[in-house]
Amino acid sequence: MTAFLKKEWMEWIRSGRLTVLTLVFVLFGIMNPAIAKLTPWLMETLSDSLADTGLVVSEVTVNAMNSWAQFYKNMPMGLLIFILVCGGCFTAEYDRGTLIPVVTKGLSRRKIVGAKAVALFGAWTTLYFLFYGITYGYNAYFWDNSIAEHVFLGAACTWMFGVWVISFFILFSAVAKNSAQVLFGTGSAAVGAYVLGMFPRLASFLPARLMEGMALLQGINEAADYSVSMAAAGVMSIVCLALAVWCFDRRRL
Amino acid sequence: MEMLTLSHVKKSFGEKEVLKDVTFSVPEHTVFGFVGQNGAGKTTTMKMILGLLPCGGGKITVNGSPVCYGNTPTNQYVGYLPDVPEFYSCMTPMEYLRFCGEITGMRAGEIKSRSEELLRLTGLHGEKRRIKGFSRGMKQRLGIAQALFGHPSLLICDEPTSALDPVGRKELLDILESAKEQTTVLFSTHILSDVEKICDEIAFLHEGRIAIRGSLEEVHKRRKASGTELETERGEDAGRLFKAFPFLKRTGRNILLLEDPERLPGILHFIADKNLRILRIERQETTLEDLFMEVVGK
Ligand SMILES: Nc1ncnc2c1ncn2[C@@H]1O[C@H](COP(=O)(O)OP(=O)(O)O)[C@@H](O)[C@H]1O
Ligand SMILES: [Mg+2]
Repeated sequence: MTAFLKKEWMEWIRSGRLTVLTLVFVLFGIMNPAIAKLTPWLMETLSDSLADTGLVVSEVTVNAMNSWAQFYKNMPMGLLIFILVCGGCFTAEYDRGTLIPVVTKGLSRRKIVGAKAVALFGAWTTLYFLFYGITYGYNAYFWDNSIAEHVFLGAACTWMFGVWVISFFILFSAVAKNSAQVLFGTGSAAVGAYVLGMFPRLASFLPARLMEGMALLQGINEAADYSVSMAAAGVMSIVCLALAVWCFDRRRL
Repeated sequence: MEMLTLSHVKKSFGEKEVLKDVTFSVPEHTVFGFVGQNGAGKTTTMKMILGLLPCGGGKITVNGSPVCYGNTPTNQYVGYLPDVPEFYSCMTPMEYLRFCGEITGMRAGEIKSRSEELLRLTGLHGEKRRIKGFSRGMKQRLGIAQALFGHPSLLICDEPTSALDPVGRKELLDILESAKEQTTVLFSTHILSDVEKICDEIAFLHEGRIAIRGSLEEVHKRRKASGTELETERGEDAGRLFKAFPFLKRTGRNILLLEDPERLPGILHFIADKNLRILRIERQETTLEDLFMEVVGK
């Protein structure tokens, strides 16, 4: 398994996938506080033209909260890019048949799924906390993070959402024939959870709730409200991975 | 001992019955040629031996253990060269072989010496480029190196010579022949001259069944006794021979065909006594080609 992981690592680096994703996440991480910081200035420059139209812009004050709001707005975009960039992680190997020499050497298929999952989760965790760390650092530097509650917990919830989506991605990758199907399946799972989340009775069990990190920061939601969806997302992820292993053992390569 | 056995193996894709009843076995330390036309089902059979396709009936064993679809433990005895081999294009051949060694749990020192040995054998040593830019023939060479890497007990090659130039082809056949010392080779091909060069045993796959099977000599013997051709320098000598031995067949003005090899010494005596001038006396070989045509034409 270590050998396969090493190969994954080599591919992540040499295909430029890691570079692209790191750049995107760092950029997003810087953008959150930057946009918050620039808002008053933007407003000021715009206020003259707005005044002509009769709008009066009052003094805008920004704080860490605005930056965190940006963070939660950009996060889904980051996850989407992550999934798109990694879309062919399994299917490219099926298409080219590169797994055939590997499995015919007797490497267990579980180890292949395992190594790929470790690589994906590892990359997601690292990139996500890079993104989080940069935003946190700038916020602490410019303003004060203490006005927001449960800063870390909120971030952990969205991280968990990412883990949940990636688990579905792995499951669909183990089943589907091409990357379009994988992306469609993963997308449907995420949208499905979102739609079902509109029913209040289901909402607390669904991972979509984990995306509402902002409400936690603002103190609208209690930390305890998230424990059920955290646990549900965890269980679903494990089930997805188990199913993925089961399907991958049986699929035609 | 039998390295590989297939008994009554069947396979269909939907309505299409590709393999109807395939039974053969490969003894240890032989080079086994698996011959058939394009689309006969050679690749399909090999994929079933490797657990890459589900078996539609019958039983396959490798080294005494049964093969199952998916994660088959028998693959640890096997080295496989696919018909169109594909490898991780971001690696160099050396890195790829190291990867192969690591997934089979070899030690670092062994991996290094084995990689060097095999890269030299396949003529890829000193190739520092990544696999991305490789031609199909080069991939085929790397393919044979990776297949041999873990000292497999059974080496399965799917049309290994089809992408190679004549020199590469000869080299590859030499590699397969020398691999016989350590391993058992099963290779598929539709090129009969390759079979004649290196195989100990062969099986013809035709219309989903094994049409002919056996050692190369046995297979040759299956054909009715082949004749001997005599060509004389002058037409009248041929006439004299024909008069003395009426069982000869006159196939040309000065060419005679002898079907029964037992009578040859008598004829040679006559030729020596009468001092006939002979251009050639030639035993006609049945080629596998003839045999193949016969099977296919049936
Ligand atoms: N996945 C598949 N689905 C449907 N038909 C297939 C599949 N794979 C192979 N076949 C059919 O099986 C037959 C045998 O193919 P193959 O084993 O590749 O032949 P060979 O390797 O002897 O040239 C062909 O007629 C081919 O069309
Ligand atoms: Mg084939």
